[in-house]
Amino acid sequence: MQVFTSVVVFGIVFGVFIITDVNSYKQRKVNSMISIARVIGANSVSSIQFQDPEAAREMLEELHSVTPEIIHAAITNRDGQLFASYSKPGEKAIKIPTLLKRKAFAFKDLQLFVSNPIMSNKEIIGNVYLEVQLSELQQIKQYKYELAFILLFVALIFSFLIAMVVQSYISNRLLKLVNSMKKVGKTGEYTKPLEEDGKDEIATLIQAFNHLMEQIQESQRKKDEFIGIASHELKTPLTSIKGYIEMLNLLEKEQPKKQFVQKALGNVNKLERLVKDLLDVSKIQSGQLQLNMEEFNIDELLDETISAAQSLSGSHQIVREDHLDGEIVYGDRQRIEQVLLNLLSNAIKYSPGEKKVEVNSEKTEKELIIKIRDYGIGVPAEEQTNIFERFYRTKDISIHISGFGLGLYICRDIINRHYGKIWVESAGKGSIFYFSLPLKHSLTSQQTEALNP
Amino acid sequence: MLFKKIFLFMLLSCFVGATVGQNIEQEANLKAAFIYNFTKYIDWQRYGHGTNFVIGVVGDSPILESLNEIANNGTINNKRIVVKAINKGSEINDCDILFIPKDSPFPLNYILQKAGPGVLTISEEPGYAEEGTAFNFVVINNRLKFEANLKAISSAGLKAGSQLLKLAIIVQ
Repeated sequence: MQVFTSVVVFGIVFGVFIITDVNSYKQRKVNSMISIARVIGANSVSSIQFQDPEAAREMLEELHSVTPEIIHAAITNRDGQLFASYSKPGEKAIKIPTLLKRKAFAFKDLQLFVSNPIMSNKEIIGNVYLEVQLSELQQIKQYKYELAFILLFVALIFSFLIAMVVQSYISNRLLKLVNSMKKVGKTGEYTKPLEEDGKDEIATLIQAFNHLMEQIQESQRKKDEFIGIASHELKTPLTSIKGYIEMLNLLEKEQPKKQFVQKALGNVNKLERLVKDLLDVSKIQSGQLQLNMEEFNIDELLDETISAAQSLSGSHQIVREDHLDGEIVYGDRQRIEQVLLNLLSNAIKYSPGEKKVEVNSEKTEKELIIKIRDYGIGVPAEEQTNIFERFYRTKDISIHISGFGLGLYICRDIINRHYGKIWVESAGKGSIFYFSLPLKHSLTSQQTEALNP
Repeated sequence: MLFKKIFLFMLLSCFVGATVGQNIEQEANLKAAFIYNFTKYIDWQRYGHGTNFVIGVVGDSPILESLNEIANNGTINNKRIVVKAINKGSEINDCDILFIPKDSPFPLNYILQKAGPGVLTISEEPGYAEEGTAFNFVVINNRLKFEANLKAISSAGLKAGSQLLKLAIIVQ
């Protein structure tokens, strides 16, 4: 667009220049030829008065050596009859164009005709006619056209380059902004404002974006604050309730009262877990979550958590298909337990009616990978990263899922802090959840330091 | 037979005479025009004190008529033109231009002697320019031309423009 505009503009400008140039050349030529005609006229007055055409002719001949572009020169007397003339050798006789009768000069093809009256005592006693060859003009025109063409070409290239530079400058900044937006859209985090460079519209856009982000950040902060307060406030009376109901559970032996109490206890526990999750999330958001690193037996932990999960599941069967043989890993035992329980309960939750949940492990030189496989509704490919976001709950309405959707978010945070990775893959029917734990020796010194403040 | 021949001859000579007469008139008109044009190139500044511009013709000549016609229609140096036929030697010096026709009553020497400074002498007889007239008309190849005697012009105290002189046949 820019290139086209500049080419058009340049074209017009050059065209105008050339035209005015050619015209001014023509004008100058006309002026100089009229001057010559005037001089000839003045010098031929006496020749006409004394009827001496020879003298006039001699003068016209002189003209040729001075101004070789004049190919015809003629003097007529007051009746219009030819008095004296000179023609460049090789040229046909002069033919005076009729329009010269009224105008002082005329252009015809490549010739210029000039006419000037010969005056004596305010009387016209004759006329001078000159015919000029304008070969120079043709040369000039050609030269100018060529020059204009070259310049136009150069201008085209330049404007193209400039357009590219400007465009990339604008594009780069816009792309930076877009990338930033994408990042925020994905992670929900707004770490630092974008640099506001310059004073143009893009800078204004960036400014608005930053402002928007600030507002979002502020509202998020308020939300987190609320979660923290709420979960804390909820926890206190909940602990109290749980205490009393546990007491009742121990004391009450009579049915159906015992059943009622156990049902209440189960729900209280559930409630407690939810509130605990909320509290964890709040801690994570405010950066208060700390890991207690130690070396512990993962083999043992897997067995423990499987049996704990099994007791909650009922119809499902959780099987362990690997052998770790008392493998020792480095991490926060309680939190890894939390992750395992969460994944196992998810596996059960999301495969209602299906029987089997498989637990597997794989050890490489650098890390230990745990896999938990279920035969449930699975996770669609486009959601496989989203499920680890806060408050994510499945859109699948075929099953009813309880919970806030915080479990995987907390798991991811815990695993990330261990410098491991957690992800999911689809497997025909159902899904396989993976998480990796780096072995102690494969952690860099920097990472080890970070884990143990 | 003879009578016819004589009659034819007389008729022819009439025509010829008429033609010749016409030619003579044309020549006189042309010379008068030339004389009038001469004045545009000659400087009488030092001498022209009279109110009129006087052209004197020494003797009778068809040029008198031509000059009179010019005198009626124009001026020289913004002065009225007066054409005089000169019969007395004393009148010669009173002219600005003195025309000496072919058959002039006075001899050339006498006329030249009488013509003082400020008088432009013009003649029409071959050889007269050499003898001392300023300008002398000659016919060459059927065209009217004129000789100029620069010495005579300057002794008359007059100046002639180059534009005029370039067309003249310079005698001295």
